[in-house]
Amino acid sequence: MSKFEKLRIVTGYEFLKHIRRARLYIILGLTLIAEMAVLILVPVLGDGFPDNVMVMAALLSIGPSLATIGAIFFAGDAIAGEFESKTGFILFTNPVGRTTLVIGKYLACFAAVALLVILGYVIVSISLLAIYGNVPIETLSSFGLCLLYTGSVVSVTFFFSSISKGAMAATVITLVFIMVITGIIDSILMMTGQPHWFLLSTNGDTIATVFGGYELFMGGFGGAGGMMPFEMESPNIGLSVLSMAIYLVVGFVSSIWITKRRQLA
Amino acid sequence: MSEPIVIENLTKYYNKFLALDNLSLRIPEKENVGLLGPNGAGKSTTLKILCGLLRASSGTAYIDGVSVAEKPEQALSRIGAIVETPEFYSFLTPEENLGYLGRLRGMRGDELKSRIKEVIKLVSLQDWNKVKVEKFSRGMKQRLALAQTLLHDPPVLILDEPALGLDPRGVVEFRQIIEGAGKNKTVFFASHQLVEVHQICTQVAIIDHGRLLAYDSIAALEKKYQSLELAYLKLTETPIE
Repeated sequence: MSKFEKLRIVTGYEFLKHIRRARLYIILGLTLIAEMAVLILVPVLGDGFPDNVMVMAALLSIGPSLATIGAIFFAGDAIAGEFESKTGFILFTNPVGRTTLVIGKYLACFAAVALLVILGYVIVSISLLAIYGNVPIETLSSFGLCLLYTGSVVSVTFFFSSISKGAMAATVITLVFIMVITGIIDSILMMTGQPHWFLLSTNGDTIATVFGGYELFMGGFGGAGGMMPFEMESPNIGLSVLSMAIYLVVGFVSSIWITKRRQLA
Repeated sequence: MSEPIVIENLTKYYNKFLALDNLSLRIPEKENVGLLGPNGAGKSTTLKILCGLLRASSGTAYIDGVSVAEKPEQALSRIGAIVETPEFYSFLTPEENLGYLGRLRGMRGDELKSRIKEVIKLVSLQDWNKVKVEKFSRGMKQRLALAQTLLHDPPVLILDEPALGLDPRGVVEFRQIIEGAGKNKTVFFASHQLVEVHQICTQVAIIDHGRLLAYDSIAALEKKYQSLELAYLKLTETPIE
């Protein structure tokens, strides 16, 4: 039996796990709530929809971005869970390599989140079409960046899952790393005018800033010029793509390397 | 090497703690061999190394002549194992769990379906076949573990306290299953239950502090020590320096 066939089997059953768990539907619900909140609150609180379709597109991209963060909850127990719940005693005594297992789990996790991202962008496109009569081509770029961000978030989570004793620890550490630590460093580097293109939180901003940069948000609701004490430079898309690709590859490869060496005592 | 299970100079350290100390053992083909020893003797460590779950600090374990460390997939294809208290994927039914594991071993289609039915009936879980494992008791999971061990009809069975958690009827049924299925297989199993070992096995290996104290037929040990129980007590009573 080929490794590819085994990979197919592992991916299939891991995907089934995601489909059968409540968290997929919770993240789906949160994504929909986020989109509805933007569609309802923006016109109500802002005296109608923004004139510029790009502003609305950038705001609506919050939904799929939320789904991407939800990837942490899917991926947190991918590796740690097998050790913590001791299902590894059954799984690892089968003739399937750990590399195959990790790749299969990654593909399943990515596919599950990608489904939510796709749904999010379908809602974005339909909404923009309904409100403005057109969907900017940048929506496609935003979608691509969101998928890449998903891949890198899943990879980083897999890394923490491979080194953690339990699923909860892996999930919390990843959340803290992505949402808090990189966010704080991001703010400090931005305020001090230092480069921060290599931070995952900055990279995630490109999902929205691809529609027109930070200036778009500042001007989109009547202008907020001069409010910030420092210059907010929009993230460079090219460097962000490079950065996310590095997180994806390094996180993924290191999670495989660690899982192969981890023992089940 | 003709023996299906060969352990050569196996040593295992957990940090500074020596769990296995140059253990060597050869399990003959189609024999049922029990692995006895007090808590912490190294029984589970030995079986986990054989199943590729732990890496030996030194020494080698072979399954059908294949090194478990160097070619784990090839070695593991020859065994069915129960290690520790087994846990299955709670979101799957027994049928689905066995389907996953069977497919990973290359079983397919009708062959897999009929074999799953067969082993589930063998362990008396047919009424629970469509129920998700999250609702299973410990004993039921143990039965399912036995089913997955036999699913692909492996030539070698490696069992760590396989009857743990089973009710008295379950223990008797397990013994009958192993006696039946184990006729043409090599069975190596660790247990604290001397009665169970006595009924199933023809040979025993007794270890303590990671070292082999005795490896002989039960008949020979009984001749020397009057009973298997006395043999165990006598051999494991002296602290090893």
